[in-house]
Amino acid sequence: MGFLYPWFFVGLVGLGIPIFVHLLRKHTTIPQPVSSLMFFEHGIQSSTRHRRLKHFLLFALRFLLLLLVILAFADPFLRRSASPKDSLLLVVVDKSFSMQAGSRFTDAKREALETLQNKPRSQPAKIIALGGHSELLTPPTSDTAELIAALNTIHVEDSYASFADLSRSVHALSDSSSGAIELHLFSDVQRTAMPDNFAEAVLPDKVRLTIHSVSGHSPSPNWTVESTDAPAEVADPANQSVSHVKAVIRGFATASAEKTVALLVNGKTAVTRTITIPPGGSSSVEFAPFHVSYGFNHCEVRIEGSDSLPADDVARFVIRRIDPQRILFVHSPTDQRSPLYFETALNATKSGSYVLQSAAADQTTSIDPTKFAFVVLSDSTSLPSTFEHALEQFVSNGGGVLITLGLDAERRKHIPLWPGLLQQVHDYSAQGGEDVGQIDFTFPAVEQNKPSRGNGGWAGTKISYVASVDPSGARVVAKLSDGIPLLLAKQIGNGHLLLFSSGLDNITNNLPLQPVFVHFIDKTSEYLSDTGQLSGSRIVDSFVQLRSPAANGREVSRVEVVDPQGRRPLSLTEGRTVQTFRLAQAGFYKIHPANGREAQFGVNPDRRESDLTPMSPEMESLWARSNDSHPGPQRGVTPAARYRNVDLWWYIMLLAFVVAVAEILLSNAYLSTQREEI
Amino acid sequence: MERFLDPAILASISSLDLVARTVVDGFVSGLHRSPDFGFSQEFAEYRAYSPGDDLRHVDWNLFARTERLYLKRYQGETNGQLVILLDASNSMQFTSRRPSKADYARYIAASLFYLAIRNQHDSAGLIVFDSEVRNYIQPSTRSGQLRRLFAALEQAEPRERTDFSKPLEHFRAQLHRRGIVIVISDFYESPEVIVHALESLRFKGNDVVLFHVLDPHELQPVMKGPAILVDLESEQTMEVVPESINSSYRYKLQAHIDDLRSRALAARLEYQLISTDQPLDSMLRDYLSLRKAGA
Repeated sequence: MGFLYPWFFVGLVGLGIPIFVHLLRKHTTIPQPVSSLMFFEHGIQSSTRHRRLKHFLLFALRFLLLLLVILAFADPFLRRSASPKDSLLLVVVDKSFSMQAGSRFTDAKREALETLQNKPRSQPAKIIALGGHSELLTPPTSDTAELIAALNTIHVEDSYASFADLSRSVHALSDSSSGAIELHLFSDVQRTAMPDNFAEAVLPDKVRLTIHSVSGHSPSPNWTVESTDAPAEVADPANQSVSHVKAVIRGFATASAEKTVALLVNGKTAVTRTITIPPGGSSSVEFAPFHVSYGFNHCEVRIEGSDSLPADDVARFVIRRIDPQRILFVHSPTDQRSPLYFETALNATKSGSYVLQSAAADQTTSIDPTKFAFVVLSDSTSLPSTFEHALEQFVSNGGGVLITLGLDAERRKHIPLWPGLLQQVHDYSAQGGEDVGQIDFTFPAVEQNKPSRGNGGWAGTKISYVASVDPSGARVVAKLSDGIPLLLAKQIGNGHLLLFSSGLDNITNNLPLQPVFVHFIDKTSEYLSDTGQLSGSRIVDSFVQLRSPAANGREVSRVEVVDPQGRRPLSLTEGRTVQTFRLAQAGFYKIHPANGREAQFGVNPDRRESDLTPMSPEMESLWARSNDSHPGPQRGVTPAARYRNVDLWWYIMLLAFVVAVAEILLSNAYLSTQREEI
Repeated sequence: MERFLDPAILASISSLDLVARTVVDGFVSGLHRSPDFGFSQEFAEYRAYSPGDDLRHVDWNLFARTERLYLKRYQGETNGQLVILLDASNSMQFTSRRPSKADYARYIAASLFYLAIRNQHDSAGLIVFDSEVRNYIQPSTRSGQLRRLFAALEQAEPRERTDFSKPLEHFRAQLHRRGIVIVISDFYESPEVIVHALESLRFKGNDVVLFHVLDPHELQPVMKGPAILVDLESEQTMEVVPESINSSYRYKLQAHIDDLRSRALAARLEYQLISTDQPLDSMLRDYLSLRKAGA
């Protein structure tokens, strides 16, 4: 018998209360003064003793009640030997990318099979495949044949396994299961699978973890292409500033080595480089320029030679060669400054694969916006109706439009394409302009991974003139210091609207003269033209959007996905309904989303899987005992006798309730007797 | 009137003078409606002249009309004397509610002094005693007597034990004139001893009244459980159980009261049992009736 919370025995001090009330207080009775004792008689001793005897029973009940309550809070339990059939056997097999190294996966399945065959026949078991998402393969069953069949369906994948995900799955399973759980993990127990926050991996109390490591507890040397930096789209392959690929080659537990790295374009080696990689370190290699043909080009950076995990010696990405994209810049007839500033910034961008075509608002009647990557409406609130209608169709089908509101906006409250009217104009010129306040740097048009000092470079921007619009239904990306929205985003159909509530003419603000203007135009162009969304690289288990959430099931066009093996994983029904798709395999995917724009991606495993260094034995031991509130010798890793705790507090509280009722009845009886005596 | 004679209300008045005035004025205003009592200098009767009578009392107007000599008689022609023996022993400080027995006794004494001196023009004196005579104010009608009496009452704080023999010896030595003697005490003494000590006063022609003052909790004690009791005078302690209160205590107390009353009556002493929650007018009524009988 033990106690889960023995410190509640401090409450035993409270037992002094009934002792004081019943015994000590008797001896400290305060004498009562009377005029004379001549008429009083000394109390009959036997009567007083009888009363004290009755009180002793009450005292005993009260003493017992307090003792039981304290005992219940200390949570006593009986430790009984748990028979195997009482617990649920949980067999977890790691199917992550790192299990492709050597014979790890085969060993894991073999050991799991042995465990299933050796379990008591009546013990229920479940099979879980641990990968990008933990997959429960069987319901609780004691049928060994069914369990073995489920085990054989597990195949190694390209996904990343996290023990935090395993912990979450086991917690969910534990909540729905009443008995103890014996968890047997068959894995290479990579140290990278353990989350940074160890608490996320802690298992529930009633789970006993046994780790079956198949990595041999020794790190395996492995090289990998840790990262690649390549453009998703190239307009001019000869331009070295754009047309170059940079790759980082990293070794894990490796000695210093010379490695030959090749860039393959559409399966053909384009360039090779030889680099020296320091022990357990990394080196970068660049390929520039290189030739790619028009359309999608499947590129790979490949390390020659072999190592423990050859599958991660290649990094895949897709480069799309396109002609420079045209941008339609619609401005008011009197405004010649805005297109000038915009074009200058556009030419200064990193990609530089855009051509600006500017047109006055009254000359847009015959222009077809679908021929442009995106459209800019610079202070053009009055558009020919045919062009405005064409723009609506353009946006609805996935096009992007940037709307800016300059000095002409106030004359006409209507804003083309935008659902609301212009509400009010704020003029800050008298006070030297208003600062830009809060900016959502996670939004693609102003995206900065680590915003630089001075509010990401926006600190020097002074807004003199801004038109406020109704922000309902839109995402406010940037605000002025006084809370007036400056940049709003809205999705209409499959397209995007971006509303900058000031101008681009250096009159309504000084943004065009700020360095951040180039970054803003670059990111805005990428966002509105979907550059980078149709090609590039992704990580296994990431999701791609197949249709806009705004479509909300109204869309009937079918999407199509072709996986690296050339199969179509989506059924016809799924092709009409699903909004996102999980990239489950490494390789090249072809996707035809609902907006008709084909996309191709190179998909690579999570590089944390490339570090084959196993978890240290100390860490394994710590994890196995992390849920153990009673430290004991080597539990979990080397399974000792199993015990089952039987809680007793419920029975003790029941007894305490009975004693409390008896105490109430007895004390009531005493009180009524005293009333009669008076 | 009752409202002003309630002891609990009087206990909130700190000045004995004011207490006495409140009690007596309230009492007298009630008497105006009563035909049974009169005051001195009021006409009582005519009596035929007999030789030797003082001619100053002859009603010459009546003689002019009837040619017969009649003497005109008045009530209370002579001034009485009031002496109060006040018990100031420790047992008098027992109280279960305000006022205590000692305070209640002082209210009685003060009211009687006020009535006697201010209303009846009697001489009044005081003996405060416990086991000894602690204070003695000789009976007098001099101006300032009432103030002296009140001052003596103020100083009569309870202490020591009760002993009736010594103050009575002192009193007998000082007493030269008959009058009314009022003993105010809780009489925690053998009735035989009490009556024996006081009956000598009666033999000398005094009207003796015993005011037996007890607290309501002495008459009807309440005890919720076994308790330790301590005697205020002897400081002896005794463990007592409630059962004995319900049986022996009440029986013994009643026997004591009955014995004291019967022995007092046998010795022609007036006896009155008073609870400290009673109004004070009954005591004043007794005094006036005694005075009238004496006149």
